[in-house]
Amino acid sequence: MNIAVLLKQVPDTTAKITISNGKVDENNVSKWSMSPYDEYALESGLQLKEVTGGSLIAITCGPERTKKMLTDAAAVGADKLIHISEDKVLDSTQVQKLLAATVEKSGAEVVLCGKQAADTNSGSTGPGVAEILNAVCVSMVSEVSINENNFISTRPSNSGAEKVSSNGISVFTFDKGISELRRPNVRGIMMAKKKTIETIKPEEIGLEIENSDRITLQSQNSPPEKEPGQIFEGVENIPEIVSKLRNEANVI
Amino acid sequence: MGYEALDFYEVDSLLSDEERMVRDMVRDWVDKEVIPNIENACREGVFPDEWRAALGEMGVLGAPLKGYDCPGLSYTAYGVICRELERGDSGLRSFASVQGSLAMYPIWDFGSEEQKNHYLPKMTSGEWIGCFGLTEPDYGSNPGDMITRAEEMDDHYLLNGAKMWITNGTIADLAVVWAKLNGVIRGFIVEKNDPGFSAPEMKGKHSLKASVTSELVFQDCKIPKDRILPGVKGLRGPFSCLNNARFGISWGAVGAAQSCFHSAKDYAMSRIQFDHPIASYQLVQNKLAWMLREITKAQLLAYHLGKMKDVGEWIPEHISLAKMNNVDVALEIARVARDIHGANGILDEYPVMRHMANLESVKTYEGTHDIHNLILGRHITGIQSFTREI
Ligand SMILES: Cc1cc2nc3c(=O)[nH]c(=O)nc-3n(C[C@H](O)[C@H](O)[C@H](O)COP(=O)(O)OP(=O)(O)OC[C@H]3O[C@@H](n4cnc5c(N)ncnc54)[C@H](O)[C@@H]3O)c2cc1C
Repeated sequence: MNIAVLLKQVPDTTAKITISNGKVDENNVSKWSMSPYDEYALESGLQLKEVTGGSLIAITCGPERTKKMLTDAAAVGADKLIHISEDKVLDSTQVQKLLAATVEKSGAEVVLCGKQAADTNSGSTGPGVAEILNAVCVSMVSEVSINENNFISTRPSNSGAEKVSSNGISVFTFDKGISELRRPNVRGIMMAKKKTIETIKPEEIGLEIENSDRITLQSQNSPPEKEPGQIFEGVENIPEIVSKLRNEANVI
Repeated sequence: MGYEALDFYEVDSLLSDEERMVRDMVRDWVDKEVIPNIENACREGVFPDEWRAALGEMGVLGAPLKGYDCPGLSYTAYGVICRELERGDSGLRSFASVQGSLAMYPIWDFGSEEQKNHYLPKMTSGEWIGCFGLTEPDYGSNPGDMITRAEEMDDHYLLNGAKMWITNGTIADLAVVWAKLNGVIRGFIVEKNDPGFSAPEMKGKHSLKASVTSELVFQDCKIPKDRILPGVKGLRGPFSCLNNARFGISWGAVGAAQSCFHSAKDYAMSRIQFDHPIASYQLVQNKLAWMLREITKAQLLAYHLGKMKDVGEWIPEHISLAKMNNVDVALEIARVARDIHGANGILDEYPVMRHMANLESVKTYEGTHDIHNLILGRHITGIQSFTREI
């Protein structure tokens, strides 16, 4: 079975983010990493592959730097690496079109991705790709397994967890999964280095992409500084603390 | 904020993609598994067994060795691995140095084909731990006069003597032991269950607390004939192992220094005294600038030495200089970092005092600081001054 995993490279959660001229300064990001929810998707994809055999195809759309993330995916076991190369400023729908066309071309029967990317948090990629592919979409899953011809995914529900069975081409978007992405090892790294990254241009998959004129990102700004915490010492302060918890924090 | 390794001259941009990936793998593991657990390991005085397993799984043990399932990485990659491990703790790096450079390397270079096939795959996977017995209670800097001896019997060798200060000794499955056979130093592989062999742990260290240090005692220890390393005689055997380990230490020390710098900088930026962060005072800035300068120089030394090792154009004196210099500055950086942290510097909440205490051992083992000075002195003048007629 061919398993496609959609990966996005985002500023590492520990990296300092600076804003210049109202935009995140990408040149100043000290470390780029695979988006954490995508890591769960990749791990689940690797586990599916171990059970079903077949091939895991890691796909990303983004600038040149994102190739490193594909090589990282190869180091833990991705078999095929596809980089969709497009320098224009894209909106979510355009990205979804590119990803969906690439998935289709790859012949994948199942698509795994994060429920949202750690930078934009928009959460539209998985459902959008599913829509274009006319595929089943199960979102916020923590686990996907296969049972005969059905995919069984686990997702939270009001009363606990629910298991969803689906068949045919399915897209699963991952919340925090049950197992963290495996660590690479030296052998994997040496193999990954030899793996070629297939670069796809939009026109090769029959898509004309123009600079998006429907959506523009107007500005970005840093979160407001947190107010310093308040420290109280001694029993005599208890009434004041209780009143603050009740009236300011609204927690009791 | 996560750890951002100081790399002022962007020396790491000279690494290959593969070397960088190996760096990231080890750095990530150290962040997730070592840093949160190191103080506990030190307090309990143990080397966590999970670390052995993880090093094996990552495939970094015996990094530059080729064949026999070994990683086959560059020496530069080996250096990078040592640096990232020692950023966590010198005891962890010691484990890897001993396993790779002191126990696997002699088998790989001087062992028989059978020995290599038997030991190396299980050592690179971390399944078997090795140690290296050279130092004796009365012979440290001067191992050539060692008294541990081997006698050739009908179907075995008989070992008698004692080694001291042996890293990994008690937890080792096998020891590469240097002993005199008819007056000539030879290497022997002793396995943990060999009769007449014991490896009691040395307790009470104030340094390298997360590393196991032991005595090796041989009392009529019988080992089969096929456990002698056929490929080397004399001090060249142990010294070629030491060259590789010292090379790794020259990188490792940079990691410890980077960790101390990182902590000192963060602390100085946030600690307010006399109304301002202490980082705003010239005396503190001078200390930080000095650390930056010495770390940058040490990085360049280590990197260039790595390239020399990779093309095979090096002499032991090159390694002596880098080991001596980089450990020396790392130790001084740790001390200054401790000073910048004030009283907090003595707490285990910060890594600086641990690095400082660790580096005292690193300064002494693998050739003391001054022994390396003497090696360089001999190189410059052609006159050895290790000993003389008195
Ligand atoms: C934690 C730890 C782990 C170790 N692990 C191992 C191991 O795994 N295997 C192993 O074989 N050994 C190991 N060692 C031993 C280490 O290699 C020795 O401690 C080292 O070689 C120094 O020997 P020594 O301690 O006997 O000091 P000495 O040789 O007695 O030196 C004491 C001092 O005298 C100085 N000195 C000695 N000779 C001269 C001279 N000719 N001129 C001027 N100054 C001189 C030295 O520089 C030093 O300052 C370890 C040591 C430590 C602390």
